[in-house]
Amino acid sequence: MSGQPVRRFLFAVLAGLTFAARADDADALRLADEAPEAVVRAGDWRSFAEVTLGAARRRGDGSMRHERRLSLDVRYDHAFADGWRLVFADRLDASWPAPRGDDRAINTVKEAYLSRRLARDTLVDFGRVNVRHGAAIGYNPTDYFRRGALRSVVSIDPATLKENRQGSVLLRGQRLWQGGSLTALFSPRLARQPGRDGFSLDWGATNDSNRLLVVLTQRIDTLSPQFLFYGEEGRAAQLGINLSGLVNDATVAYVEWSGGRGPSQFAAVLRRADAGDWRNRLAGGLAYTTTNKLSLTAELHYDGAALDDDAWRALRRGPPVLYGLYRQWVWTAQELPTRQALFFRAAWPDAPIPRLDLAAMLNVDLTDSSRRAWLEARYRADRIDYALQWQRNSGGSLSNHGAVPESACWQFAVRFYF
Amino acid sequence: MKTLASILALALAWVAHAASPQDILIASDAVRNPDHPFGLTNTLIEYRQGKQTDSSTLAIYSKADPRGGQFRSLVRYVAPARDANKLILYNGKDLWFFDPASQASIRLSPQQRLLGQASNGDAVTVNFAKDYRAVTAKEEETLDGERKLRRTIRLGLEAATPDAHYHRIEMWVDAASNRPVKARFFTESDKLLKTAYYRRYQKVFGVERPTETVIIDGLQPDWVTVMRYSDWVEREVSEAWLQRDYLPRFRPE
Repeated sequence: MSGQPVRRFLFAVLAGLTFAARADDADALRLADEAPEAVVRAGDWRSFAEVTLGAARRRGDGSMRHERRLSLDVRYDHAFADGWRLVFADRLDASWPAPRGDDRAINTVKEAYLSRRLARDTLVDFGRVNVRHGAAIGYNPTDYFRRGALRSVVSIDPATLKENRQGSVLLRGQRLWQGGSLTALFSPRLARQPGRDGFSLDWGATNDSNRLLVVLTQRIDTLSPQFLFYGEEGRAAQLGINLSGLVNDATVAYVEWSGGRGPSQFAAVLRRADAGDWRNRLAGGLAYTTTNKLSLTAELHYDGAALDDDAWRALRRGPPVLYGLYRQWVWTAQELPTRQALFFRAAWPDAPIPRLDLAAMLNVDLTDSSRRAWLEARYRADRIDYALQWQRNSGGSLSNHGAVPESACWQFAVRFYF
Repeated sequence: MKTLASILALALAWVAHAASPQDILIASDAVRNPDHPFGLTNTLIEYRQGKQTDSSTLAIYSKADPRGGQFRSLVRYVAPARDANKLILYNGKDLWFFDPASQASIRLSPQQRLLGQASNGDAVTVNFAKDYRAVTAKEEETLDGERKLRRTIRLGLEAATPDAHYHRIEMWVDAASNRPVKARFFTESDKLLKTAYYRRYQKVFGVERPTETVIIDGLQPDWVTVMRYSDWVEREVSEAWLQRDYLPRFRPE
């Protein structure tokens, strides 16, 4: 082939490609010409209703338990007058059959507070507030107001657990400056015991002692370390740090630590006098995002107040009542039952088709090797979500995840936003 | 009068020509971005294969950094309903996401895209001249966003700071007015990531500015995102608000 035809051929290919690109661009611009002009305005409400159907396979006899649930979740956030703001968030879960030992319908007043801007960068809040701190996903040692906050558990997804929980009544002040802020809050004791009634305001669940929290955040370059000081009536002060930073454009690293003197979790269950050694709790992880939006997270969890290998083995072999009390305490406190665990999460929005989100999660207890796996496929229509969830708990008898009465369960949920 | 206008146009063209590539880029940024803190509504509409597949609405407050000049932005989702009132802070590579329902503040990596095809930088105001160096300028005729032939200067931009999201950008700027016309964004391996058209010029804060950006995917040209800007308003944005601890407090008026 001589040089001239080759050049002609290449020119033709180039011209064709240019024309194709222009045609693509012109098509796109024509689409944009027809794009709707309407602009959505911000509203004060964010509400949804959710209906679920599910089934759980019981460990042992393998029988199936069928479950249905209807939930209503409302959040109202309204600014009024000059610098005032009212926030109210409530959730009602009605389940068939009723959860073990609970009412069929459980209502949770998650938040109800008034906020006032005293100056441009100074604010105060009063009422029930969902106070939450922590850099990790699966375990948050610095989330000091998590104890007793779960009234109704509809999913083990950490995001849902953080959303569907009861706040604490408190008075909070915050002062902001360039790159930093100081927050101080006091939460009083309002009752000593949690309420069992499904429509109870349940002061005793999240306001069972006098508590104090001071949080200092200061941006240092791209890091924004957060220092926490937590004090509670009858307990030694706890210190905490949250720190996160970029490893590269695709990776975030984070660590969350809380430490202080205090009893072991087992001593706390028995209300036994304890030496009050220094105990550390830690969660650290990496989150990596690929160019096609797949996010992969891995975390290591450590709870220095939890049972070690030998003590955990002994408890599993010991009196069932003691084992049950310990598990109940750990669940209420949202702590780890054993010293170390691994947590993995993968989330892939718009995969493999637009609006279809896939998520997977795996908890591994490093002390007894039990596991919990969770998968979700969620399709987002305009105002409706369709979600299919599957969960499997595996492990030896009375292990962390192997003790869950259901070995596997699935759930289909339809959520309507209004 | 006609003669005067012609002379003025020629003079403008000469000035544009005489200016360095970086000067043209700075002038083009000034057309897109107001020189004071402001708020606006950004409506994103996504199309695939000619059909609308998604849409979202964001309320955005932006303010330039007095030190570096780059914009920082507070973003609140207005729609869809499932995302309403979720918030994002864009401060260079310091990106935070906050969900009021869970009170969770999560640091994001620049690669995490929350808005479909649009990158974090596409949705908010960006001064290209702060993160890129214009190294070449070449006069060229090109089709603009209204599909009209326009005399432009094609600028070749190279990433100049670690905050630059793209390795290389080609930007077409109107030769007479410095209005941005279109841009092509490339990866490190020189693959075309996307093409953006700046169009629907309207008077905003006394200057004709683009009120729509059309983004066309580089690999899948039938994947199109239309970003439409409305409700521009001058806003006071305190420096103290541009941090993650302010996200739970942010409520656009």
